[in-house]
Amino acid sequence: MTTLNLPSYLDQTDQVKKRFDALKKRDVILDVKKISKKFDSPQGEVEAIKEISFQTHKREFVCVIGPSGCGKSTLIRMLAGLETPSGGEVLLDGKPVSGPGPDRGMVFQGYTLFPWLTVKRNVMFGLEMSGRSKKNAESEARDWIDLVGLSKFENAYPHQLSGGMKQRVAIARALANRPRILLMDEPFGALDAQTRTKMQSNLLDIWKNIDITILFITHDLDEAIFLADRILVLKAHPGEVNEVIEVPVPHPRSPEQMITPEFLATKKRLEELIHEPEEDVPMNLTLMTDKSDSVD
Amino acid sequence: MSTFSKMIPSFIAQKVAPVLFGLTAVLSLNAQAKEPLKIGYSDWPGWVAWEVAIEKQWFKEAGVDVKFEWFDYLASMDAYAAGQLDAVAMTNGDMLVTGSSGAKSVAIIINDFSNGNDMIVAKPGITKVEQLKGKKIGVEIGFVGHLLLLNALEKVGLKESDVTLINVPTNETAQVLASGDVDAIVAWQPNSGQALEQVAGSTAIYSSADEPGLIYDVLAVSPSSLASRKDEWKKVAQVWYKTVDYINDPKTQPDALKIMSARVGLKPAQYAPLLKGTKLVSLDEAKTIFKKTDTFSSLYGSSKASDDFNIKYKVYSQPEVLDTYIDSSITDSL
Amino acid sequence: MPSSQKNVKPWFAVREPLSQKRATCLTFLSFLMPILIWSAFSYLPFLWHPKVEITQPGSVTWLQPGTLIDKAIFKEQQILAEKNNTALPEGKPANPVYLPAPHEVVVAFYTAFTTEPKRRSEQWLHESLWHSVTIVFWGFFISTLIGVPLGILCGTYSVFNKLFEPFIEFFRYLPAPAFGALAVAILGIYDGPKIAIIFIGTFFQQVLVVANTTRKLDIALLEAALTLGAKNINLLFRVVIPGILPNLFKDLRILLGWAWTYLIVAELIGTSSGITWFITQQARYKNFENVFAAIIMIGIIGLLSDLILATMGKRLFAWENSRGKIA
Repeated sequence: MTTLNLPSYLDQTDQVKKRFDALKKRDVILDVKKISKKFDSPQGEVEAIKEISFQTHKREFVCVIGPSGCGKSTLIRMLAGLETPSGGEVLLDGKPVSGPGPDRGMVFQGYTLFPWLTVKRNVMFGLEMSGRSKKNAESEARDWIDLVGLSKFENAYPHQLSGGMKQRVAIARALANRPRILLMDEPFGALDAQTRTKMQSNLLDIWKNIDITILFITHDLDEAIFLADRILVLKAHPGEVNEVIEVPVPHPRSPEQMITPEFLATKKRLEELIHEPEEDVPMNLTLMTDKSDSVD
Repeated sequence: MSTFSKMIPSFIAQKVAPVLFGLTAVLSLNAQAKEPLKIGYSDWPGWVAWEVAIEKQWFKEAGVDVKFEWFDYLASMDAYAAGQLDAVAMTNGDMLVTGSSGAKSVAIIINDFSNGNDMIVAKPGITKVEQLKGKKIGVEIGFVGHLLLLNALEKVGLKESDVTLINVPTNETAQVLASGDVDAIVAWQPNSGQALEQVAGSTAIYSSADEPGLIYDVLAVSPSSLASRKDEWKKVAQVWYKTVDYINDPKTQPDALKIMSARVGLKPAQYAPLLKGTKLVSLDEAKTIFKKTDTFSSLYGSSKASDDFNIKYKVYSQPEVLDTYIDSSITDSL
Repeated sequence: MPSSQKNVKPWFAVREPLSQKRATCLTFLSFLMPILIWSAFSYLPFLWHPKVEITQPGSVTWLQPGTLIDKAIFKEQQILAEKNNTALPEGKPANPVYLPAPHEVVVAFYTAFTTEPKRRSEQWLHESLWHSVTIVFWGFFISTLIGVPLGILCGTYSVFNKLFEPFIEFFRYLPAPAFGALAVAILGIYDGPKIAIIFIGTFFQQVLVVANTTRKLDIALLEAALTLGAKNINLLFRVVIPGILPNLFKDLRILLGWAWTYLIVAELIGTSSGITWFITQQARYKNFENVFAAIIMIGIIGLLSDLILATMGKRLFAWENSRGKIA
């Protein structure tokens, strides 16, 4: 094995540094202040999340990553208002939020399109809930469907679509409400590797073209680095912020960047942070094959 | 959807229309309008006989509006007890049982008495009641079959304790006898006939023909209906005795049999033996039976025996006042 | 690998669909098998014919041609006659009356429909059957009218769940026929109490089944709707109800079958009517071929109505269909 001579993940080019400086000057969209979550269990109270704080700026793309059990999903569900924090508060544009609402769009890991509605009616759903007229909602829904490239399928039912297409519709549906922030809970986790890569590029394109801030949960390191401006790395038991990484990979992003030194340096750092030695249980390997057909 | 749209009119026809019709009838004819007399009857030859009068439209001829409703026997007594009928066809014993629980009634017509339809059927080898001593007998305890059995045992000097009673629903008696688990069963037609048919060599060692009048079948009318509409009930009685004559007359009997067998879904030839075991009571005979004596040849005597039986077997605890259950005035006036 | 082996699909593959041809074959076979077994018992004298039908009484006085007696008794009589050197009784193996042969039932089926009513007040059999169908329909319809909304509310809101379900859980164990006498007292002797029994037999199960189906709706769909701004009434009418509709329809199909099973007890209450009157009357006089025919009629009606509903469901809920993928 050769050890790559990687730069530090903290090294940023001037271009990247400038970008981050500009980003931090922008308005804070989501301000998470010391939120925590405790669950009751037979063993007593369990602290799933402990005083997590962070901010996202306008049009920033933040990924959240962490080992299993760090409470990623619980965190994003609290931001969406689907769970109530045990402590702390969440501010959206400076105002505290409670309960779910259309100002925070959500894309789930599982497929949550309404199976009884066509693609178009799915995208219209939120618009109709906000009291838009059907005609108005329909023309606006068409624009969003067009944005995700599914105009040909606007009258199809979800069961007729592939997994990737379903998630594109889900993104269009969430965006149609013009949310201040788009919360995405491992949205590509169930897709195959090829589709996933394509969806990541698609998502970046969408993000570039509209005014949206994205908080994206993933357990895939490459995905996090490829997508994010900053990565919020959590640690488990209880879920706490371990480190916030400013991704030194310049924009615009492309899959070729995945082998650049800065990309790999970031990945190495993430691996160090997420690696959990205490969970390593060595295997007990004994030779169970004929020596003559050794694979070495 | 087609069933749906078809059902709506039928619902209106069946449920809504009668109500509307009833309302308009009440409004237009005001106090004069009366509901038809509602009579419940069930599958027993003496009651199936009503079918002849219905089919011949003799009630219309007599100028009385009656409506006969066909029931299962137990269901008919339930319906009467629930106040849904003006009269019901019952045995005199069941009339007392129904009355003891609050639904009093008055017998104004005697339809028939069982004349052989109720039997004790014993397996091959047993030919006399005396031989039942120490044997197992399948019978529906507390019902008329039980009464018949006690009557038979008493006649030969046996007591109930001399035999072992097995409680068997009457309509299963034939199978029970065939199974060989009991030595004899007590049942009425058609179950008794089936027992004889199914168990080859079995014999009827005792039957209601040996004690005519043990069980009378009557038309039991609600006291309030009788009080307020006695004239109409008199017409009903008239039609009844006319019907009996028609059935008993050898010339017209085949026609009557045809009507009666159709009611229960049998062929006339199949029905003839059932009719034979039932003695339909003519007007003159009825007048005699209505006379008050202590023997089984009187409705009083028979009812007294039923009353004693019911008390003994704790069907109810207080003796019933028999006079309130029997009103011979209508039959006597004909 | 020889190509012939590749083409042979296994019959027993866990949760693998069969080819259309095989499926049709097996469906046919599922009906054919019981009929074959029944035919075998009816037409093969060496298979379970426990009785002997007398053809010649011989010297046994109490026997008549046509009498059915046990094999053992028949043998006894034969031995007895042999000993006494008198004429032997003769007979052929027969089944008890309660197992009529298939052809007898087919004939009974046909004659039941073609026999004209003999009495003024009598109905054609198809009219009686239709009467039974309407009883089941109204009992089920009224039950559904109340039971489905209540079930959906119980499955959606904990308030309704806690308010209604405990009592319904208790009530559903009470046998519907037990309310017969009460139903007659309140609703009269005609169709009212019969419909009521079907209602009681269906309603309480229906609420619980529908509530359960409602609860099984993927919570993620509700959460998605919440994040899209849906609230209260909209959540119920735009998400919960359309979401459970296909399963609700399936529930109703099963419950309709349930309602049918209460028909016989329902029709015994009050005046005798419908197909039950035919069945009980024929059973009382041991015309079992007619009883079988009537039971088969009910089965056919049930099967046909279920098939119709199943087809309807497929049409109505095309979006549930896994076929017809575009991408």
